[in-house]
Amino acid sequence: MTVELDGIVERLAGEAAGGEGVEAYAELTTETQVNAFQGEVERLTSASSSGVGVRVVRDGRLGYAYTADLSDQGLRECLAEARANLEVSSEDPGNVLPEPGDHEALDGIFDPRQAAAAPERKVALALDLEARTRAADPKVTQVESARYGDVVGQLAIASSNGVRGSFSVTHAWCAAVALATEDGQSQVGFAVDAARALDDLEPGPVAREAANRAVRMLGAAKPPTRTIPVVFDRMVAPSLVGVLLAGLSAEEVQKGRSLFADKLGQRVGAAGLQLVDDGRLVDGPGAAPFDAEGVATRRTVLIDDGVLQCFLHNTATAARGGASSTGNARRASFKSTPGVSAHNLFLAPGELDQAGLLAQAGEGLLVQDVSGVHSGANPVTGDFSVGVSGLLFRGGELAEPVREVTVAAQLLDILKGIVAVGSDLRFTTGSIGGSSLLIGQMTVAGA
Amino acid sequence: MLEDAVVRKVLGAALATGGEWAEVYVEDRLSHNIRLEDRRVEELVTGRDRGAGVRVVRGTASAYAYTNRLDVEALLEAARVAAAALREAPQQEVRDLRRREPEVRHPVAVDPAGVQRTTLAELVRRADEAARGFDPAVAQVTAGYGDVRQQVQVANSEGFSTLEERVRTRFVVQVVAARDGVVQTGFDGPGRSQGFELLDEFPPELVARNAAGRAVAMLASRPAPAGEMPVVIASGNGGVLFHESSGHGMEADLIAKEASVYHGKQGRRIGVERFNGVDDATVEGAWGSYAFDDEGTPAQRTVLFENGVCTDYLTDLIRARQLGLRASGNGRRQSYADVPIPRMTNTYVLAGDDDPEEIIRQTPRGLYAKSLGGGQVNPVTGEFVFGVVEGYLIENGEVTTPVRGANLVGDGPSVIAAADAIGNDFEVKEGICGKEGQGVPVGNGAPTMRIARMTVGGTGGPA
Repeated sequence: MTVELDGIVERLAGEAAGGEGVEAYAELTTETQVNAFQGEVERLTSASSSGVGVRVVRDGRLGYAYTADLSDQGLRECLAEARANLEVSSEDPGNVLPEPGDHEALDGIFDPRQAAAAPERKVALALDLEARTRAADPKVTQVESARYGDVVGQLAIASSNGVRGSFSVTHAWCAAVALATEDGQSQVGFAVDAARALDDLEPGPVAREAANRAVRMLGAAKPPTRTIPVVFDRMVAPSLVGVLLAGLSAEEVQKGRSLFADKLGQRVGAAGLQLVDDGRLVDGPGAAPFDAEGVATRRTVLIDDGVLQCFLHNTATAARGGASSTGNARRASFKSTPGVSAHNLFLAPGELDQAGLLAQAGEGLLVQDVSGVHSGANPVTGDFSVGVSGLLFRGGELAEPVREVTVAAQLLDILKGIVAVGSDLRFTTGSIGGSSLLIGQMTVAGA
Repeated sequence: MLEDAVVRKVLGAALATGGEWAEVYVEDRLSHNIRLEDRRVEELVTGRDRGAGVRVVRGTASAYAYTNRLDVEALLEAARVAAAALREAPQQEVRDLRRREPEVRHPVAVDPAGVQRTTLAELVRRADEAARGFDPAVAQVTAGYGDVRQQVQVANSEGFSTLEERVRTRFVVQVVAARDGVVQTGFDGPGRSQGFELLDEFPPELVARNAAGRAVAMLASRPAPAGEMPVVIASGNGGVLFHESSGHGMEADLIAKEASVYHGKQGRRIGVERFNGVDDATVEGAWGSYAFDDEGTPAQRTVLFENGVCTDYLTDLIRARQLGLRASGNGRRQSYADVPIPRMTNTYVLAGDDDPEEIIRQTPRGLYAKSLGGGQVNPVTGEFVFGVVEGYLIENGEVTTPVRGANLVGDGPSVIAAADAIGNDFEVKEGICGKEGQGVPVGNGAPTMRIARMTVGGTGGPA
């Protein structure tokens, strides 16, 4: 099928008329998902889908169209729509296609074992995960969700500028949500594992972690409002870093929507803090030899020793800003034009694990869950106020669970307030890796 | 769309290994989206998406396979893949497919597909101009228009089929306002199950001024206080809160898993006596409406709370059968690539008797949540968090200082039990609701409501 995608994008790129640039981006994905519930397969989904997106540029204008109809007629119509859409778009110096460049293949993002994995093993893994989660603790009364999922993807790109590239990638993951009940109160706990192949997934630790995170929240009550040190758990830290990510995109900067806009070269975080995006880090799910418009990926240090170094660019933002692309063009799918985003974003890990951070802080709140990030955290204004639940700790030891709490602060104060980054960095299914984070002081609002 | 003969053949293959029933869902979607940002028409995107999914069901177990090739071979292969996941039961027959006729329609006066591209470009430019003209503090404007024509065919081996064409149109404006180093955003985004006539009711200038007004009003804000206080929620916004904090818990998949705070609460008094809430997919032309859900069940109106008593849950076919409930027509999916699950449509808190202005006058001190952002809920506990994107203090029965960064924290049952004033006004907010990775259009409506006590999270210190 790779050959087929290559052929489609090359044919479309070859249709370019004089003065016009044409880029075609095609995807083919096969996916499986298995949900287990009470010892049975509750749902199995198996899919194969493909599509192509066509970008046409001429005289600084852009037209885009996509189609899931890969017949000759479907492709012809798609190109015609993209050309017609170009006519009403405004001129913009960013409407250019990248020049071809070299990109090195990236070993380790495609695992042939996954491409060959039998459906029976996927079903068995989901059932095993469900059984283990249920058995992990007597207080677990239900396994709300036990899932296995995988994706085998192929991608091809070609442009009339001479960009050519294709690669394959695999992902496999499993996740459990345990429900624990005691004295009429229910609590949920989530855990996830991700790898390049099913063979490397570990349902045992996922089950134990999901159960533990539910059980330890039993009896949670609303604490009094205080200002105390806060440790964000490795699994919630990505939501926090995710809010920063928007402001680090050159697109947001150019559109006046980034609170980092005028802060290049300035201190934005605590001393020693390093924020990195690495598109070639195979441990992260966002690894790829080239980005969504065919530009080679790289490692970019965004914040070094607390000082803002640069922004993330694709070809459009680079052309507008007189910079060069950092290889950060990304698309959700063939249905969208390339935007700017990170591949694998993370805060460089520190020395201490989570227990070490709790010991360092002495007393405070360990946040195990955040909610309302998409509404309560505003990357433009820097206001940050989210609902959290977790456990108080004293003398470095976990104590009583708390819920219906909000923590609020200014985003830049949070960044500057990071006292330590944990050593427990891990990527799972998202493009942001998580480590435990210790923030010096935050307002924790309860009753 | 597929011919009945092809559909019957695919359903037959799907049932070959012992499913109780099987279903074919076919979708063909044509969309146009135009977006203006930074004074430029950034892009106009035409999208053509189509595909089919075959589902085989036995009890609560299901297997689903989809493809975006619509030839018989690809469909039969999908049916075989789905069937292979279920075994060990006697084979069922495919019954004659009786075509269900729609009981409600959502008429389209002006077909969006016929609208000129230049007209679309003009719409977003007009919105840009109106927003910038509203106040010199307006620094950035994003305006978007989108329409979709979705043709949906459903055929079920138990003997029915449906065919529906759904047209939806939406216009959205987001404004960033800045003054003296303070930056605030405002949003408005009306949408309907209508055609291009949406723009007659909501011209770009109106939507732009609403969004700009919200952003500019918040420039004078100070950080919101933190702590417990009475909260008056402006009309429309209480619907969003109701949707998130109670509606999700009444979706029958969560009920069946006993993973909802509303499990076992049917017939029990939860809210104040005057509290009435419904989910209604039949509202003509509303954003969350349709004629049939994505399993071919006719659209319905379901009462969720009547006089404060928990009444009905929202079901899809699998959950209705499992729980012995009526199929409420709430089986929805984002696209052919997704399995249907119980979802809300237009979720409304019905109007009460109180004068909205009087509600504020009789609140000595509290928060007026004029506009809520998105929210999140844990349906097991009913706990939620909501961002207040436009909020004001209420002091001595008057709306006073704007406050920013406020979050509402609480749980669904407590909120409807503490709703001590329900206004006689009513408004609807449109949005996209996400669940299990699937986004579907939903409308949320409510009158002005006062919640006697609620936790407010803010950075302004204790209230």
